[in-house]
Amino acid sequence: MKTKKPKIVCITGGKGGTGKTLCAVNIAIMFKNEGYNVLLIDGDVENPNTYLLLNGKLENKIEVPFFMPQILEDRCSKCGLCSQNCASHALLYIDDSIPILMSSLCSGCKLCYKICPENAINPDFKTIGWTYSTEISDLSLLIGELKPSEARSAGIVEKLIENLENDLQKEPNKFDIIIFDTAPGAHCDVELLIDKSDIVIPITEPTRFGKLDLGRIIELINLLKKDYKVIVNRSSLLGYKDQFLAELQEENIKVLGDIPMDSDIVDSYCIGKPLMDKENGFNNNGAGFIAFTHIYENLKKWLEFN
Amino acid sequence: MKKKLVGVVSGKGGVGKTSVTASLASLAKQDLDVEVISMDCDVDAPNLAIILPPDDQSKIEKKDIFATLKSEFLEEKCSNCKLCIEDHFCEFNALSWDEHNSIPKIDYLKCEGCGACKVLCPTHAFKIDAVKSGEIISFRCKKGFPLIYGKTQLGSTTSGKLVSDCKEYLKNIKEFNNTDLILIDGPPGIGCPVIATIANLDYVITICEPTPSGLHDLMRVIEVIQQFNIQFGVIVNKSDLQSPFQDNFNKYINDTGHRILGKIPFDLSIPKAMSYTKTVIDYAPDSKSSMAIKEIYQNLKHELWNNILS
Repeated sequence: MKTKKPKIVCITGGKGGTGKTLCAVNIAIMFKNEGYNVLLIDGDVENPNTYLLLNGKLENKIEVPFFMPQILEDRCSKCGLCSQNCASHALLYIDDSIPILMSSLCSGCKLCYKICPENAINPDFKTIGWTYSTEISDLSLLIGELKPSEARSAGIVEKLIENLENDLQKEPNKFDIIIFDTAPGAHCDVELLIDKSDIVIPITEPTRFGKLDLGRIIELINLLKKDYKVIVNRSSLLGYKDQFLAELQEENIKVLGDIPMDSDIVDSYCIGKPLMDKENGFNNNGAGFIAFTHIYENLKKWLEFN
Repeated sequence: MKKKLVGVVSGKGGVGKTSVTASLASLAKQDLDVEVISMDCDVDAPNLAIILPPDDQSKIEKKDIFATLKSEFLEEKCSNCKLCIEDHFCEFNALSWDEHNSIPKIDYLKCEGCGACKVLCPTHAFKIDAVKSGEIISFRCKKGFPLIYGKTQLGSTTSGKLVSDCKEYLKNIKEFNNTDLILIDGPPGIGCPVIATIANLDYVITICEPTPSGLHDLMRVIEVIQQFNIQFGVIVNKSDLQSPFQDNFNKYINDTGHRILGKIPFDLSIPKAMSYTKTVIDYAPDSKSSMAIKEIYQNLKHELWNNILS
């Protein structure tokens, strides 16, 4: 059953609230049910929610440091060179005075530190967030969290990728499959994770908002040259659905499966017990359960896991 | 009336920001006391214009924004010294070495345009250029008020900057001076574009739903809003969701004493209205969600203009 190199599946979506975390968690659980070793990485670092859906706790907290220049006042010759070369305008220089740091603007490029002729800049660090690693219901979970009021979320995502790469270097066969859960949108956090994955599953819904945002995320996926198939969530939502599906077909967008609205899904979401975990005893004939089973079979075929 | 800039945000995505913003803007338009402008600062996934489409397609204004900086390699100046790699000029790992040609390669997506390579290269073989980071689109919507929104160029990595540019653009449109209320549809999350959206606002509306993720993300976005010291109110969407989590959620709301602007019950009128590209208050004015949003509008007005403290 072991595959050689773990496959990386990226769950994303463009629009918020389409069910990315729901799908990521339940897909991870279905692989676990069949004895695969699964690593779930929560890359929605602004709002990591995977552990809530698994009713788990955040453990093994590690700070993510980020470069911050510290100006050594006794060494500074007040030449202003650092400020002139700071592209993000994080160093404010007024003639003949020590530059003032506006740390929220700092990109972390370290140029000031590298060019200061007096070595008056000390490479200090601030904490921009944390990573956590934990085991919940036989799943390995790696989570990133941005500290509220910090802006550099991509720094946390990069840390998650770095941790993953270190893990894989140490134990290349530890996992059979790795699943990413991304933030909504199509910005750098999402881009970093799509770029790192083998295949991408955008989660969408049959609404005009869903369609527009799906178009944007597909554009990004194409830019990164990845293979993708979409999951249509809330597929029983009528009104725009027929037109939506016709448009997908017309644009040659492949569908991995669809998930109708189902009260079992809402219940499982709210109590933090994944629908697809055998131990949670949800009805095997429920619409959501059947839909996820179908998606899982299609995904395994796509990954050539059989 | 004093001009008020109001942002609609949510930690969690898909909780109804755009639907609520469009409805509140429409109610403001009907209100003779108020002149309104609407904006969409969810520049990664701008959707407000779907519900508030332009009145006249020919009068859509578009402005390209060049705020993203990217490095460009100038091969003729390169001395092939490889110092850029050996001294690790780039902290974003955008530089790698092309062994075959003995020159550096720039990963365009990773490049943050910081200029370190340009400054540090002994032969000046890099230059920094501004590239298109997105566009700002503005028009008069069918309902008769201006709509401004930003849309990022994918792969340009500068959502927050584009949000700030949209807010600057707003100040230059002719309607700005006579406007009382600017309603901004914000991005989900708590990161850079959210911070750029709520900076310098007069009031923030945060929308949430009574689920564990909804509460978790609400608490995080409130933490950010409070750091900026901005007055805020909470809207609970899908408030009557049959959920075993309702008790926990209500306890949080009661314990914190946050201002609740209103609760919108789960109502299929909202997605239906959207499928007809209408606001719910136009599509189903007597629906329970429309009634709730009308009440929220009155509460918001009170918060903005009748509150003795403000």
